[in-house]
Amino acid sequence: MKKKILNLGLSLVGPIALIVMLTMPIGPLSGGLGIIAPTGGIFDVGYPEPALQTVKLPGLDANVEVFFDEWGIPHIYADAVTDAYMALGYLHAKERLFQMVMQNYLAAGRISEIVGSYAASSDRYYRAIGLARGAEETYQWYLENRDTNDDIAYVLDIIDAEVAGVNTFIDSMTSATTPIEFKILGFTPQPWRPLDIFIWTKMMSWGLVGGADDLYREYAKTTIDNDTMYNDLFPDLMPYNVPIMPEQHNLSLTGYPNSAGGFPADPTPPPAANLASESESLIPIGKLKTLLDTIDDVILPFEVREGLGSNSWAVSGALSETGNPILVNDPHLPLQAPSLWYEAHIAVPGVIDVTGVSFPGIPGFVIGHGDHIAWGMTAAGYDVLDFFIEQANPDNDSQYWYNGAWREFEVVDEMIHTTDEGDIAFEVKWSVHGPCIDSVMDTFDLDSTQSPNIAMNWTGLDITHEILALSLLNKAKNITDYYDALYWWDSPPHNFIYADDEGHIAITAAGRYPLRTGYIGDRPVQALNDSVGMLSNIPYAYIPRSVDPSQGYLQSANQRSYDPETYGYDVIGPYDIGYRGRRINYLLNTSSSVSMDDMKRWQADSVDVSAQWIVPYVIDAWNAAGNGNATVQLAVDWLSDWDFSMETDIQAPTLWRFLVDALKYEIFDELRITPDANLRTPSTPVLERVIRENENYYLDDHSTGDVETRDEILTRALFRALDEMVLKLGSNITDWYYGNFHVIHFDHLASLTVIGGGPHRGWNTLNRAVSSWDNEAGQWRVVAGPSWRMVIDMGDIEHAYGVYTGGQSGNMFSQHWDDIFDLWYAYDEETEQYGYHLMRFYPTLTSIASADLSEPFVERRITFVP
Amino acid sequence: MKKLDDVFPHFNFPKLVLVIAVIAIALQLSGAWVTMFIAGALGALLTRRHRTAFFAGFIGVAIAWSAIFIYLSLIAQALVIAEFFIGLLGLSGLGWLVIVISVILGALLGGFGGLLGRSVVELIDELMPIETDSEETPIQDEQRDSESEPDA
Repeated sequence: MKKKILNLGLSLVGPIALIVMLTMPIGPLSGGLGIIAPTGGIFDVGYPEPALQTVKLPGLDANVEVFFDEWGIPHIYADAVTDAYMALGYLHAKERLFQMVMQNYLAAGRISEIVGSYAASSDRYYRAIGLARGAEETYQWYLENRDTNDDIAYVLDIIDAEVAGVNTFIDSMTSATTPIEFKILGFTPQPWRPLDIFIWTKMMSWGLVGGADDLYREYAKTTIDNDTMYNDLFPDLMPYNVPIMPEQHNLSLTGYPNSAGGFPADPTPPPAANLASESESLIPIGKLKTLLDTIDDVILPFEVREGLGSNSWAVSGALSETGNPILVNDPHLPLQAPSLWYEAHIAVPGVIDVTGVSFPGIPGFVIGHGDHIAWGMTAAGYDVLDFFIEQANPDNDSQYWYNGAWREFEVVDEMIHTTDEGDIAFEVKWSVHGPCIDSVMDTFDLDSTQSPNIAMNWTGLDITHEILALSLLNKAKNITDYYDALYWWDSPPHNFIYADDEGHIAITAAGRYPLRTGYIGDRPVQALNDSVGMLSNIPYAYIPRSVDPSQGYLQSANQRSYDPETYGYDVIGPYDIGYRGRRINYLLNTSSSVSMDDMKRWQADSVDVSAQWIVPYVIDAWNAAGNGNATVQLAVDWLSDWDFSMETDIQAPTLWRFLVDALKYEIFDELRITPDANLRTPSTPVLERVIRENENYYLDDHSTGDVETRDEILTRALFRALDEMVLKLGSNITDWYYGNFHVIHFDHLASLTVIGGGPHRGWNTLNRAVSSWDNEAGQWRVVAGPSWRMVIDMGDIEHAYGVYTGGQSGNMFSQHWDDIFDLWYAYDEETEQYGYHLMRFYPTLTSIASADLSEPFVERRITFVP
Repeated sequence: MKKLDDVFPHFNFPKLVLVIAVIAIALQLSGAWVTMFIAGALGALLTRRHRTAFFAGFIGVAIAWSAIFIYLSLIAQALVIAEFFIGLLGLSGLGWLVIVISVILGALLGGFGGLLGRSVVELIDELMPIETDSEETPIQDEQRDSESEPDA
């Protein structure tokens, strides 16, 4: 008997060891090695989709039919809007659940719950800025107003439907449908909530507009300590800017007496702030720098630190080849895998017929077209975010001074849960102005108060209605509907371009524009009472808007939208540097009959306008120098032969990128004040202005006893650029083709794989390629660009074109993982266009079935049943 | 009450491996690798030696998982997924190794399941009261005794 028991004991050793081995986290494999079993693990995700499928979706009123076209894009046909959105929610989750969870956890400050404590700094940040709290308040507002406003009831209905669809998928997940990322990370997704939708919409607003520009301005201004130089080198309005709005179009103040979103408005601008009242050095420079560094480390899903980007333009029928308006949009966002976008088409007879791109997990289309209208978006870049330095009580740092009395900070206790280091507790102090964002860092030794006191206020922190605006825009039939929909866009401003089949074109820099009283808002201020602050707003009727302009076209590329000489209000902002706006304005202004092909060609346009203006001065300087250096002469010959297009098969674009840096280095020697100052260099239009206007003060190198001329400095920059190129690219200069060093390469959200890897055209061009030098790879990596390209002729809405940087499926083993990226990336030298797919737009089940019969394109079908 | 070894027949090795492989395929369709212990343990009912139970479980599950992987490679991109997985560890071109490791792990599950199963069977049989009206021949008793000796 003892022997048998001993045998049993010994026989248990192996199974126990195996169970431990197969369940224990190993490195990134939090799910353990058991996931490599042939079934029940990673190998379940490689099955093809069935051609015909019936899926039970409890809560539907009637069957919903979904046809997937050759790109995996669903065309959803339902009898009720809620049914359609329930199906969309299911498909969002089925294709992108991991992405939805990651993005939402990031926005809610919970990403450490998935990826571990290394992301805790991001969680601290997002909790500190209060996105989840703002989302909760916004959701409550919707619930409270559901019974009194049909539009709000409509939005909540589709939100509930989306959530129900997502949760039906989560509840029905099998090993085959569970995203591989969850298996690897050993994570089980929680049910989706309506609140999650509001959290992500807050993130959308924050990511495109939020940031710490005010803090940086304070840092730069304090460090430079010369107001004239600061204003010369870091102007709010870029030189040579072409504004978006050619003619301001106001609506009736009677019709829209309030600001966007129903906030109070004042048609009269407040008196200009007294600059002298804005004292500098409110924040110790060490604390400011630490705070900026902390913010730099935060994971940002939307913001592109290297610069804004997005293009949109529209021509009226008078300028188009077809006689109908044509609308174009390409929003430039960080490139990621899976893409931020999920494309779909929803048709509910008599209610909605809309196609375009949506955010997974969010009901509705951000950009697209209906049966009568089309719209697109670009970030407007207005500064609607301020920092207020609270005066903390030296005897009690839980208090601050406001309206003549000490007032208690509200303290919000936050707890960050991590997968590897337990819980991390910290608190966020809130003043009357907003959350103190320096709660994210330890201020000890950096600040006499030793307590968070930099409060942040931005319009997105309030109750906002962006999802209501988009929902109404998705149903809009005409320009009046467009005005009514955008009335609710009270988030930080975005340019909404518009065209319809009645011949109208329009653009509105929609959003809530705070009117600041007692301060400017470009840098942190102290506001010790309620007479200083964002006390009112520009009326919606008067925000920057242009409708059917006499020039026959509209364009926007993130530049300052209005002409300060003619617009009645002054609003600051971190606008784009303006070269893309100048380029598209030139192209449209010099064309009389624009075709769809022209539009596609221009979306691929890679002419660098800054090079067009600056390079001739450099060539002239070299020629004037009479230097016989053969290597430099060869490089100058590249520039001389160049058409300024950032193509991959020539060397000039490579040289140009190094030359820009070298020019800024040589010209702006004034900013090399201290080696660790870490000041950004002035933007390229400022460089252009200094060179074109021959601004001697900045051209001169103040570190020498001599006075250098422009030609001397430009020649010196040429040598510096080439020296740097040899250092970074090697001495084989004939190999310096742009395509060898400028590649598109973007990561999966959990860095499990990549998309891309090939040479890529463009830079700060219409075909935007935001790229930064990767020392390890020895290349510029393109990290952001046209995330979605769309071209629509309003007279032929069935033949609109679109393409984005990815594929419909979040499953990296699906044929639709990156097939649309391949189309997006394929540049045709002959047509000078990138690839697009037809945005199939059949209004009824019968029409899509009939079209498929004559030319098969339907890849599979799902019938959702109650 | 009869002992388990009296109830279940004794299979020769190839037959035992085949039975375990079939059971393993059926159980693995549940998606739970832990069921491979069961496949091995069930196989242990059909042999009388620990060593045989281990190796039959090992080879039976190895065959089962190999068969599933062949199927998955043909219709569900198993090799592509394996290549992706090994890529996470910084290796490339070694996707087949993931499948080999997986099969070995499955085989060990089956083998240890067999070993454990055999030990459990023998303990249960040991605990059972001896039937007085046993019709077993002395030869059968002798055979059982010799086969129930542990191998290790």
